Amino acid sequence: MFLGSTMFRHRWLPIFLVAPLAVLVFLFFYAPVFQAFYWSFFLERPFGGGSEYVGWDNFARVLSDPEFWKASGRTVLFMATASSLAVLVPLILAIAADRAVRMSLPARNILVWPKGIAGASIGLVFSFVFNPFVGVLAPLNSLFPGIWNPSFDGFDAYISLIVAHVWGNIPFNFVILLAGLRAIPHTIIQAGAMDGAGPWRRILDVQLPLIMPQLFLTLVLEFTESVTSAFALIDTITKGGPGGATTLLVYKIYLDGFSSYDLSGASTQTAILMVFFILVATLQFVLLGRHINYER
Amino acid sequence: MIAEEGSAASKQEGTMKFTTLAATAALFSCAASAQAANFEFWYGNTGPVEVAIKAQCDAFNAAQSEHKVTCVGQGSYEVLVQKAIAAYRAKNAPLLLQVLDAGTLDLMLSDAVVPVQDVLPDVKWDSYIAGARAYYETTKGKLFAQPYNASTLLFYTNKTELEKAGVTKTPETWEEVIDAARKLKAAGSTCPFVTNAEPWIVFEQFSARHGLPIASKHNGYDGLDAEYVFNKTLAAKHLANLVDWRNEGLVRLNGDTKGGNLVAAFSSGECAMIEASSGSYTTFTKAFEGKYDITVSMAPMYKGEERHNTLVGGASIYIMKGHDKTETDAAKAFLNFLRKPEQQMSFVAATGYVPVTNDVLDAIAKSPDAKSAKYATAAIGIESMSKPATPDTRGIRLGSYLQFRQIWTEETQKAFAGQQTMQVALDNSKKRGDELLKRFQQTYKGVELP
Repeated sequence: MFLGSTMFRHRWLPIFLVAPLAVLVFLFFYAPVFQAFYWSFFLERPFGGGSEYVGWDNFARVLSDPEFWKASGRTVLFMATASSLAVLVPLILAIAADRAVRMSLPARNILVWPKGIAGASIGLVFSFVFNPFVGVLAPLNSLFPGIWNPSFDGFDAYISLIVAHVWGNIPFNFVILLAGLRAIPHTIIQAGAMDGAGPWRRILDVQLPLIMPQLFLTLVLEFTESVTSAFALIDTITKGGPGGATTLLVYKIYLDGFSSYDLSGASTQTAILMVFFILVATLQFVLLGRHINYER
Repeated sequence: MIAEEGSAASKQEGTMKFTTLAATAALFSCAASAQAANFEFWYGNTGPVEVAIKAQCDAFNAAQSEHKVTCVGQGSYEVLVQKAIAAYRAKNAPLLLQVLDAGTLDLMLSDAVVPVQDVLPDVKWDSYIAGARAYYETTKGKLFAQPYNASTLLFYTNKTELEKAGVTKTPETWEEVIDAARKLKAAGSTCPFVTNAEPWIVFEQFSARHGLPIASKHNGYDGLDAEYVFNKTLAAKHLANLVDWRNEGLVRLNGDTKGGNLVAAFSSGECAMIEASSGSYTTFTKAFEGKYDITVSMAPMYKGEERHNTLVGGASIYIMKGHDKTETDAAKAFLNFLRKPEQQMSFVAATGYVPVTNDVLDAIAKSPDAKSAKYATAAIGIESMSKPATPDTRGIRLGSYLQFRQIWTEETQKAFAGQQTMQVALDNSKKRGDELLKRFQQTYKGVELP
C-alpha cells in the first residue's frame, strides 16, 4: 500500500476524485440501462401520463414475434462475418507492415487515418461507392445488367454494409495487432529462422501464438462493436432495407423506439440484447480467455 | 432571459450616441419585447421549406413587437416528435409544435396538447378546406391542430417527352397512363413512369381517391379497435399491377433510376411521368426551365371509378400544454398571423404547398401574378382535396401508424424484389399491422378517442 499511504492519506480523497467520472458514468450509462429494464415491464405511453405494469407480457410478445428473431439472426450473422473479417483483414495488413517490406513505414501511418472518420460519413461515402449507376461496380452492371443493385438485392446490401464496416475498423485493430507484433523480441524470430522456419511457419508458430492476447482483445471488442457501430452504417447506406434485409436488432430498436414511439417494445428488445451481450462476452472469456497465455 | 435582454439593452444604450436611427429602432423593439412572451415553435422541414418557415417567423417578429417567436428547426418530422416527447417529459416543452400527418392520433391521445379550436374558439374554422380539416379534427368535428404546410398528391408529366412519343393528351386514367408508358417505352424511354412505391403515394392517396377503406371503423375514426382491410380492396389489385408494370419496364422504382429517387429522376428528364407531392412542383419547374414543358393534374383513377378527395399531407401545428396565459396569447397571435391570406400566399409561392383556407384561392385569383407557375398547384391541389368525401376518405386515425408504414414498405419491397407475391406482402402487412393496433389499444386502455 505504498501509493495509498503516501499519496492518498485521506480516506475520502480518492472517492472524491473519482466521483465526477462515476456520476457521469451513472447518469449516462447505468441510469438509461435501468430505465430500459424498468420500461420493459410496462406499457408506456410516449408522452407519459399512463403507464401500466404488464409483467413479462412485453417479453412474451417480443420473443414470439418472428420479426424479432429474423433481426436477431441477421445480427448474429453480421457479428460473425463482420467481426471476423474486421480482425482478419487488419491482421494480414499488420503482418505485412511488420515485415521490412517497402513502404511499410508510411503504410503504418496511413492505415490509421480512417479512425478519424465518423461512422455516418463512412456510410455516406460507401453509399456512393456502391451506387449501381455511378459507383465502382457500375461497369459490372453494364456487362451483366442487374447483377449489382443493393437497393433491391438484400445480399448486395449486406455486402455493402460489411465492406464499409471492415474498412472503418481497420485502423484500431491494425494498431493493436501491429503493436503486438512489434513487441515480439526479434531474437525469437531470428532463432526460428536459424532453425530453418520459413516466413509462413514463423507466422503460424511464433508470431500468432505470441499475439494471442491482442487477437483476443480485438475479437472481444469487435463482437460487441460490430453490432452497435453497424447502426450508423445501416442508417446511411441501407436504412434497414431492402425488404428489411439489413435490419439488425440495433436498427430495429431504433425504428421501434424513435420513429414509432413504441418505448416499451424498444426497451424490451434492448434488455434482451444487453443480456445477450453479457452472455457472449462471458462465453468468450470462459472458452477463449483461459487458453491465452499473457506471460511472455 | 430578462436579465440578458436588460444587459443587451444597456449595451445598446451605451453606444447609442454613435449609432444611426436604425439602432434606435432596434433598441425600442428590444425594450418592448422585454415584457412580452418569448416562445418557441419547432418545425421539421429542411431546404426551401425551412427558408420559407424562417421567413414567416421573421415576418411575425417584425410585424408586431408584443411577442417574439423563436423558430427551431429539428431536422426532420420524426426527430422533432422524439425531442418533443423528451422535452414534454422533462416539463420543458415548446409552445408550438409542427407534427406530420401520420402522427395525428399519437398527438390526439397524448394529453400533451390543447385542441386549437378550444384555444381559438372565434376563428372561422369552416374556412379551412374540407380535406385538411377532416384529417386533423376529432370525430365530433373539433379541430385539434391548425393545418399548416399542406400538400397533396398530383400527377405530373413531361409534356415534351410524351409528345415525342406520340402522346398528345395528358393521361387521366391508369389505363391511359399505361398506354402512354408503352408508347414511351417503344420510343426508347428507359423510365416511362417513376414512383418510390411509398405508402403515402401508392397506397394511402390511392385508397382515398378511389373511396377505399384502409382499416375498419372508417380508418379508425370510430374507435381504437379497428383492423386493417386494405389487402382485400382495389388497392391490392393496383399494387399487384405496379409489380407487373415494373417487370414490363413501364414503371420504375427509385433504385431502378440513375437519379436514385423519384424527384431527381423526373427533374432530370430521365422519367416521363410521376405521381408526387404538390410540394415538388417548384423543384420540377426549376429543373425543366428551357428544356421541357410540364403538365400537372389530379392523380390518375382506374376507369369507371368515382373520384373522391385525396388526403392532405404535410403537417399541422399543435399547442402544447403547460404554458401560461401570456404564452397562450402569443400562440394565438402567431397562429392568426400564419392564417392570413398574404402569409399563406407567400408560403405557397415559395414552397409549392397548397393553401389551407378557401379565401386564399380568391386572394390568389385577384393578385397580379395569378397565372404564375408558383400558384399552379394551389387550385388543382385544393380541387383534388375537395372532391366528394366518404367516411373512409377523411384521413387515417390508426395507432402506431408510422411503424405500420415501415412494415408496409418492408413487405412490399420484398414483393417488388420478387421474393413474395404482392398479395402475400399485403396479407403479411395486415397481420403485422393488426398486432400493432392491438398493442396500441392496450397501451391506451381506457382512453376514448376525442
